[in-house]
Amino acid sequence: MAAGAALAVSGASRAFGGVYAVRDVSLTLAPGELRGLIGPNGAGKSTLFALIGGQLRADTGTVRLDGTRIDRLPADRRARLGVGVVFQAARVFPGMTVLENVMVGAHGTTGAGFVAAVLRLPAHHREERLIRDRARACLARTGLAGWADRPAEALPLGQQRALQLARALCGQPRLLLLDEPASGLRAAERERLSALLTELRAEGITMLLVEHDVAFVMRVADRVTVLDLGRVIAEGSPADVRADPVVIDAYLGAGSPA
Amino acid sequence: MRTRTVLAAAAVTLALPLLLPERHLPVYVLLLLAATVTAGVSLLMGYAGQVSLGQAAFYAIGAYAAGLSAVHGVPTLIGLLVAPVVAALAAVVVGAPLLRLRGHHLAFATLAVHLILLSLLGQGTWAGGAIGLQGIPPLSLAGTPLRDDVGYAYVAWAVLAVVLLISHNVVDSRAGRGLRAAAGSEIAAAAGGVPVGGYRLVVFALSAAFAGLAGGVYAFYLGYLGPGSFPLLLSIEVVVMAVVGGLGTITGPVVGAAVITLLVQALNELGTRPGMPSYAPAALSYAVYALLLIAVVRYLPRGIVPAVAVLRKGTS
Repeated sequence: MAAGAALAVSGASRAFGGVYAVRDVSLTLAPGELRGLIGPNGAGKSTLFALIGGQLRADTGTVRLDGTRIDRLPADRRARLGVGVVFQAARVFPGMTVLENVMVGAHGTTGAGFVAAVLRLPAHHREERLIRDRARACLARTGLAGWADRPAEALPLGQQRALQLARALCGQPRLLLLDEPASGLRAAERERLSALLTELRAEGITMLLVEHDVAFVMRVADRVTVLDLGRVIAEGSPADVRADPVVIDAYLGAGSPA
Repeated sequence: MRTRTVLAAAAVTLALPLLLPERHLPVYVLLLLAATVTAGVSLLMGYAGQVSLGQAAFYAIGAYAAGLSAVHGVPTLIGLLVAPVVAALAAVVVGAPLLRLRGHHLAFATLAVHLILLSLLGQGTWAGGAIGLQGIPPLSLAGTPLRDDVGYAYVAWAVLAVVLLISHNVVDSRAGRGLRAAAGSEIAAAAGGVPVGGYRLVVFALSAAFAGLAGGVYAFYLGYLGPGSFPLLLSIEVVVMAVVGGLGTITGPVVGAAVITLLVQALNELGTRPGMPSYAPAALSYAVYALLLIAVVRYLPRGIVPAVAVLRKGTS
């Protein structure tokens, strides 16, 4: 796998109808870092996630991947530069098998086009083999090897989430964005996810983990950023953030769930 | 098994022009041309998730491109190759702004494209105006002009075979997966690196090229073109064929075109029997579209080919 990329968000803002969802947020991730992003409902986590992934454009501010500005690029171009995305909602492609779903994830890092496909050029065959092998490897990592030929929409929810992760990994991302990957998972699935994240971290992939489950984030993340009302209110190691009175006051409240 | 089925179908359809009585050959040719246009609609609707109610406009553009170039002395075979190119270019020009629309909006916009084209063809003296374009020479292959229906039957067969092969190869490829993914979730497809807008434009152009190629054959076969040759109903007809045959399948367009064409033909013969009122053929053919579409949507919502596939899986 390719080594992780550095992410630098600088002064990013995005408003909806005059209300700021994200306001002047700056965030820097070192290559290979696993950063947790937490905050109460409506803190702007998902908006910030979309500004980095390219599903939304920032009104102001910049997003850089290894120093290259990506904030004006559409999502597919960002994917080609190595940004992988796991959405909160299980967005699987219906009418396609699990394997085909995962193969789509390799789209940005492969290049055979319509002409190669129509004429069945050697490039087409070579790349199909490469993509299929890569997709099978990603299915194996996410525990989906036995589901490869099933229709994707027939998978249970937990497997659909694993499928999304496999799809993102198939693109060999240098920055992986995960939006609440643990929500709705059962305890055993959660364990497997946390083991996989640890494994990906050891491989050097930079990851931004948006998560509602604070305990889960504290367990796997190197550092944690806390958003509230669209602004960064705290940042540091899990232990520091947990002890920060501003965080406890604004977010965790009395009887902290952490 | 699959290869054997394809070969058997090819053998039967290749033998048919020689076995059919002469008077049935026009039906055979027009059926294959309809299947060719429908293959494009099916690619667009079934795999790319886009609805076009103006596909016959590209059929007309291809027909006029071939007809006009032949009338102006361009070798007919080149005219036939120009037809899909011109249709595809037209699709890129209208598609670039139109494909920003979705669902019903896109459907109505493509319907409008068809109406505008009919009006342009009716006014344009360069295209023969309302009288039409006459004196289109027959298609000439290796210096021999094709004058009989059997020749056109085989040309139409070859055209359909090429179009089906292209469809198959596109669907089962990196690009095809990207398209199918975008039809399911545009956001997730883009996040995987699929340039959704660009791909949709390519498929729109490809489906127009299929229609244009069929139109080119049509022009040489009939030798005459008029705005009346491409009524709005034709655009609706190919959508009905695609839905009846089964979207998202390669053979669906052929089955859909065959079922509809043969049914309309049979009803037409029934309607023109002595003793039938003069409006009978038109009334019957409209009725068959309506009833068949309702029946298929109600009982075989995914179309004939997927339904048969499920049946076969169930019995084996």
